[in-house]
Amino acid sequence: MPLPSRHRAPPARDVGRRELLLGAGAAALGGCEPVSPLSRGRQQASLWFTYGGRNREVLEHLVQRFNHAQSAVYVKSVFQGDYYEGLAKLRVALAANAGPALSHVVGEIVPYLAEAGVLERLDAIGAVAHHVLPELGQRGSWVGGDTHPLVSLPFNRSTPIAYLNGAIFEQGGLSAPRSWDELRDMARLLTRRERGRTTRYGFGCPVDWWFWAALVGQAGGHVAEPNGDITLGGEAGLRAVDFWQKLVLEDGSMKPPAGRDYNAWEQTNQDFLAGRAAMIWTSTAFLSYLEKNARFPVVAAPLPMRERHAVPTGGTHWVLLKSAPPAEKVAALAFVRFMLEPAQVIDWANGTGYIPVTQQAVLALSESGHFTRHPNQRVALDQLKFAEPWPWSTRLFRVQREIVQPRLEQAVLGRGRTRELFAEARRLARAD
Amino acid sequence: MLAPTLVVLATFYFYPLLVAVYYSLHAWDLLTPARYVGLDNYRALLAGGALADVLLATLRVSLTAVLGSTLLGLLLALAVNRPGRLAAFVRSSVFSAYVVSWVSVGLLWLWLLDADAGAVSALFRMLGFGTAGVLARPESAPYALGLVVVWKVAGYAMVLFLGGLQSIPPSVVEAATLDGASRLDRFFHVTLPLLAPTLAFVTTTSLILTFQAFDVVRVMTQGGPVRSTTVFVYSIYEQMFMDLRVGRASAEAVVFFVILLGLTGLELWAFRRRGAV
Repeated sequence: MPLPSRHRAPPARDVGRRELLLGAGAAALGGCEPVSPLSRGRQQASLWFTYGGRNREVLEHLVQRFNHAQSAVYVKSVFQGDYYEGLAKLRVALAANAGPALSHVVGEIVPYLAEAGVLERLDAIGAVAHHVLPELGQRGSWVGGDTHPLVSLPFNRSTPIAYLNGAIFEQGGLSAPRSWDELRDMARLLTRRERGRTTRYGFGCPVDWWFWAALVGQAGGHVAEPNGDITLGGEAGLRAVDFWQKLVLEDGSMKPPAGRDYNAWEQTNQDFLAGRAAMIWTSTAFLSYLEKNARFPVVAAPLPMRERHAVPTGGTHWVLLKSAPPAEKVAALAFVRFMLEPAQVIDWANGTGYIPVTQQAVLALSESGHFTRHPNQRVALDQLKFAEPWPWSTRLFRVQREIVQPRLEQAVLGRGRTRELFAEARRLARAD
Repeated sequence: MLAPTLVVLATFYFYPLLVAVYYSLHAWDLLTPARYVGLDNYRALLAGGALADVLLATLRVSLTAVLGSTLLGLLLALAVNRPGRLAAFVRSSVFSAYVVSWVSVGLLWLWLLDADAGAVSALFRMLGFGTAGVLARPESAPYALGLVVVWKVAGYAMVLFLGGLQSIPPSVVEAATLDGASRLDRFFHVTLPLLAPTLAFVTTTSLILTFQAFDVVRVMTQGGPVRSTTVFVYSIYEQMFMDLRVGRASAEAVVFFVILLGLTGLELWAFRRRGAV
């Protein structure tokens, strides 16, 4: 029996160039952007994020959890490289009016973006903002207050911590250094050389503004004074560089910086995991990654002191972009609210090593005995009492990238006189 | 007939160049409105020797790469300009590096030059060149990058030189041989002069190619250590996307264009004077 005409195959004919192009285009588009069945009929909200590896896995898992937990909003997460690459793409997208509804950016850039008028106020988030740990929200700054509106909320926040190779430290009967002098002695002791080649460095640390800021605080200074004046720590800033110089150039107990930006951070992690560095400083963000990948016990410890204890805070804050359609912003805000619920804050912190950012989450973890079972995860949290607040400064980001960072590398490698380099840096920081 | 080409050139070359010139006279961060600043961006580039440092880094990488790849390409071409399976195998092997992506090449050499685990670093240690990796020292990093570029583009130069060698009439070489010219005399007085147009093409295109190096810098050194490998294109990228300075990046792009145009012109003029092109 012949098929009804609507079921019959169309008469065969040659496929034209137009059809070929359309087909190829559709296939390419289809391949680029798979549509999840979950997204149908929901308000979509785009989230641009900037983590790879383990942290990316944890975040994508939480996004999936949100998408399955309700049926009104679908969050589509898009990886955008590291913090700096992500920020570059975000700015270009904003200029092209093609930005996402939600992203997360480093704290130092929040004032810049806020003053540029691209951030949406987050007042609709409600009381959650008051539950943020004060050291991470910096009332009067990132989470608003005084003259500043609420334009960001902490997401992945961290401090630098020390990571020790537990096996090496146990073998040598050593414990974490508590002062700069102890750190220097221990780094020398733990450095191994064979036939003129250093097979293990006692200490490793990216020569990066963030760790320098920790040293400046420990040496008794402030990168920025409470009144916002960027002094780069004065003499303490020089003492910080001098300490690194001694380790790298005099003692040879710290590996010279390899790579820049996050490549240097990754190199430090790899040196630690491969046993080429007995002790490193890096972010608490890598706690879970290092614990899972090390073939030795990883011991986290607070940073040592000189004049006093001090650490900077780091990591990123949620920001809602003003340019997104209103419905998408509402949807994105629902996701931020979800991410600030204790369950998500706890899973994010446990899965990565970042600090749990709300008081309820910290309380729940303490009461459940989590920190007793996982003392490494307590280290960064305990250090918060020594956290140095960042100023609300639109210049801070440029001071960091353009003025201080290049001079740090130059000074630590002994290419130029530190005092002159930093005098110039201070002049530029104030004039910029 | 020329209209389609002109449209493409105008859209993708001349218009962006004019836009770059326009923004080089402005301060703009992509987020707030652009502000006219006259020649301030050019002054900022010249102040403190920032532009000179970038130019020096670029020249170090480029000259190493151009001289190295031209010389190696020519030597390889002379060596494999013969029939036979072995020569064909060597030709294919050497050229294969040219078709590998820059990112892959960067990652491969990053590993080979790793201060601790790299095979090349181990060789350097054996030869007594110190323990730090060549990429970790500002004195050696630009040349190391240049040599990585040589490794990648020597195959390209080799293929072009092979084409040039095979277009030399055998009768000319035979005549020189009958006149009693030695092998070296034949090379310097017959082969090399006849290869001059190819040489001009190889050096000019290699210069442009290496001046535009970005991927290999991004992957291997990110412009460091101490900005010793911050070449022009990488510096423009940093100014534009990392430091939020569109105006200064545009000014640098304009300066870069003028320098590259000048160098290419100079090179072609020199070859023309010698009757090579």
